[in-house]
Amino acid sequence: MRIVVLVKYVPDTDEIKIDPATGTMVREGIPGIINPLDLYAVEEALRLREDYGGETLALSMGPLAAEGALRETLSMGVDRAVLLTDRRFAGSDTWATARALSMAVRHLGDFDLVLCGERATDGETGQVGPEVGAMLGIPVVTYVSRIEEVCPVEGGAGQIRCERLTEEGYQLVETALPALLTVVKEINEPRLPTFRGKLAARRAEIQHLTADDLGLPSGETGLQGSPTRVVKVFYPSLARDTEMVYEPPERAVERILAFLEEHSLT
Amino acid sequence: MRYNRVTPEIVERLRRIVGDGYVITSPGDLERYGIDEIEERYRRPPEVVVKPRTPEEIAAIMKLANEYRIPVTPRGAGTGLSGGAVPIHGGIVVSLERMNEILEIDVDNMMVTVEPGVVLADMMRAVEAKGLFYPVDVSTLESCHVGGNVAENAGGARAVKYGVTGHWVYGLEIVTPTGKIVRLGGKRIKDVTGYNLVQLVVGSEGTLGIVTKITFRLTIKPKCVLDLLVPFDTLDNAVAQVNKLFREEHGLAAIEFMDDLSIRAAERYCNTVLPHDDCEAHLLIQVDGMKEGEVWRAAERVYHAVVEGGAKEVFVADNRITREKLWRARRNIAEALKALNNYISVEDIVVPRSRIPEMARRLRELSRAHDIEVPLYGHIGDGNLHPTPVSGDRDEETWVRDLEAFLVDMFKAVRELGGNITAEHGIGFKRVKYLPLALDEVEIELMKAIKRAWDPNGILNPGKAVPLGP
Repeated sequence: MRIVVLVKYVPDTDEIKIDPATGTMVREGIPGIINPLDLYAVEEALRLREDYGGETLALSMGPLAAEGALRETLSMGVDRAVLLTDRRFAGSDTWATARALSMAVRHLGDFDLVLCGERATDGETGQVGPEVGAMLGIPVVTYVSRIEEVCPVEGGAGQIRCERLTEEGYQLVETALPALLTVVKEINEPRLPTFRGKLAARRAEIQHLTADDLGLPSGETGLQGSPTRVVKVFYPSLARDTEMVYEPPERAVERILAFLEEHSLT
Repeated sequence: MRYNRVTPEIVERLRRIVGDGYVITSPGDLERYGIDEIEERYRRPPEVVVKPRTPEEIAAIMKLANEYRIPVTPRGAGTGLSGGAVPIHGGIVVSLERMNEILEIDVDNMMVTVEPGVVLADMMRAVEAKGLFYPVDVSTLESCHVGGNVAENAGGARAVKYGVTGHWVYGLEIVTPTGKIVRLGGKRIKDVTGYNLVQLVVGSEGTLGIVTKITFRLTIKPKCVLDLLVPFDTLDNAVAQVNKLFREEHGLAAIEFMDDLSIRAAERYCNTVLPHDDCEAHLLIQVDGMKEGEVWRAAERVYHAVVEGGAKEVFVADNRITREKLWRARRNIAEALKALNNYISVEDIVVPRSRIPEMARRLRELSRAHDIEVPLYGHIGDGNLHPTPVSGDRDEETWVRDLEAFLVDMFKAVRELGGNITAEHGIGFKRVKYLPLALDEVEIELMKAIKRAWDPNGILNPGKAVPLGP
């Protein structure tokens, strides 16, 4: 089985700051890290390789520093890493990013599965994964919490059965391979990198691809190739209305039940 | 010495000192101030809680308390582990929660001056924003107050390299037990003028004064930090590596230890999985330094040393996410054991590092002999272990009896190996009855004499640290 994992290099912070003038994220001076939610996709790829054999490949798009995110995947045991890096990619929105990534996936040869995290902790859109799937013209299953069975077939015509997390419960989905899955935290517990893996990853060579390598025309990359326009960025105000109940337990329970009913929360 | 009760008249006078809103007398609220992080059975609510804002207010409270012979117990965040903040004789609790300002960050002298109610992690973040670093890494850093750190001389994981709290305390302002305000020490790196009263107050568990300002020395933050998680098949094997590592490596900032019982409790509590959790022992080794290359080379030497010493594997965390995963498990062991058992007793023994293997063996024997499960973890690099006997399904009465017998045997073993009964949690009143096992008679007499000289009426945190009855 051949699995491509898409990972993103994100600022290592809990508080994203937005530049009010440009409406874009402030990334300067903040060290980067692999998007924590992508670790679940990496782990799942490694487990599938353990069960079914084959190759795992991590793919990212970003500045040179994004090699850090790829090296983290290598230290966990991913076989190969590829970075799309080019000035022409700067300012890409989710559409332009997905376009470059999907072309890179194709460029890198046959595959059975593309795995992604649920979303990135900086942009929080959760769009790139499904967009890549759409551009590749393959089935997309989002919010996967368990892979039940994979029947890969030589030449990429197998099947996969997985469970996806919905607001109401779980949905069992069976689809043809190749496919793209985005996975949620519930799917596994990402492994810690071993020291040996880290040392090897620090020395490993990471393949670089440019827009030219992918044959992307100049108007279709970066800011120019991005239909998204940021009109305004603002922080939604979080309003909490707390009502404290000071009553003996029995009466307090009644009050709380009445409150829940009144707000249709039962 | 007899104490008097807090009368409505005294409450009225306290209100005049600190203001109406800062005196608590309702029974439900008093309950909350009757315990810290020790076992629930020690809870003793105070008669009144006051929340002063200034040293002058505290001085007035102490004078009043001396006038009426009312015991006073100072309180920080209530995260202590020896009952230091429990008002065992009732009386007044002086809660320092409102004195929570960072007063000055002196970049040139690399010192920070704070009030006692500042949360440790807030102070750490504030000085880091100025490019400085306070290195004492206490497990409860997100909730504990620095005043409590000073009173208990808190240690924590990085003491191996950076020392304990007292190592960084250079100046104090305290209110004495008789109600005088005095400044001790200051921003002076060297100063031998007079007895070192700063360090006498540090770790005195709030029995010699109430700390109202602290000046901590600071250092610079290491630019590169690596954490290694190293599972070993056997405990003996793991502890044998520790001494070897110290002889070979300079930059070790922490060597923590978790046995299989502790690690599994932490996994359950934190809803996580750590590799090789069936191994008898895990070491968590932190290497830090200013240059990335050097730190990696040091880590590589540690790697080869532990692999040669029988490590099953070496995992590494070099970023916030993986580091958090490792340390969250380590930091939550005590909480986990508490949540998973009816009763536990977090102990805090220390032995010379070379005696750790022997101590671990003795603990296993005692665990068997007393039929008490004893998860073992701690700051093995300091020789400081936290054996934590857990009750299983014993009822409280049986537990208290069995625990007592176990502790006496454990403390005797500790003393035989040249160790002592508490390394960083303090005597409090939880361990005060064991002091004769731990200290020389003359030493105890000297401590009593000091306490009497500072607090003639014996009203400041009585019954803690020194075996001096009311």
